[in-house]
Amino acid sequence: MKTEISQENDATIFTLSGRLDSHTAPQFEKQVQDYLTSPENHLVLNFNNLEYISSAGLRIILNTAKAYKPTEYQFITCSMQDHVLEVFEISGLDTFITICRTLDDSLVALKDEE
Amino acid sequence: MELSFQLKNNGSELTTLHAILGKLEKRWCLSSKTTMELNLILDELVTNIIEHGGCDNECVIDIKLIKGNSEITLVVTDDGPPFDPTITPAPDISLPLEERGCGGLGIHLVRKFSDGCMYKRTKNRNVLTLIKKIPKEHR
Repeated sequence: MKTEISQENDATIFTLSGRLDSHTAPQFEKQVQDYLTSPENHLVLNFNNLEYISSAGLRIILNTAKAYKPTEYQFITCSMQDHVLEVFEISGLDTFITICRTLDDSLVALKDEE
Repeated sequence: MELSFQLKNNGSELTTLHAILGKLEKRWCLSSKTTMELNLILDELVTNIIEHGGCDNECVIDIKLIKGNSEITLVVTDDGPPFDPTITPAPDISLPLEERGCGGLGIHLVRKFSDGCMYKRTKNRNVLTLIKKIPKEHR
């Protein structure tokens, strides 16, 4: 799995590619951890190139959502492939995590919040 | 048609699993969706065995796939302490974020993506048999 981190206005964007399973999850968790302890920005996870996610990946997403909930910042996911979206829905994470169709949609959603 | 292989209790074996299923997809003419779901089922079970199987030393997980006309049967066997994933409580996925825990999600996915499962303990080994239906258009 690969993660690219970029900045757009006041949002940090993680672009994930490859497979997020119990083998690759610790590496991703480490990367995202710095942003969770004291969020100073909105966070967007762009799943456009993420082929696969297992419960190990969902766990990190769930903890990210929990860390952002009490803050003034937004946590948004976007561009999920069908299978990844299905795993989110079956796990019920779609009920409290914002899932945008595209990265542009998520940036617009963040702007609308302001 | 049948395929048997072994994985060790090591996270890097998930890469091996993905490669094996990729070849199987072609050989058995499976849809990428079915392959992905088989991968997720086996991934969650193998991960569970690695994390909770109580094997400090290297141990082996036996995996067998049998293709019938309308379904694939998966048999996963390991040497860990008795663990029956068919009777673990399901997580409440309707809970709000604040109350949601992480436990049980993997087994929840296994149940949702498979069409039946049966557990037995034989000769000090866990034997889990699962059924995965093949969609009509891909039989």
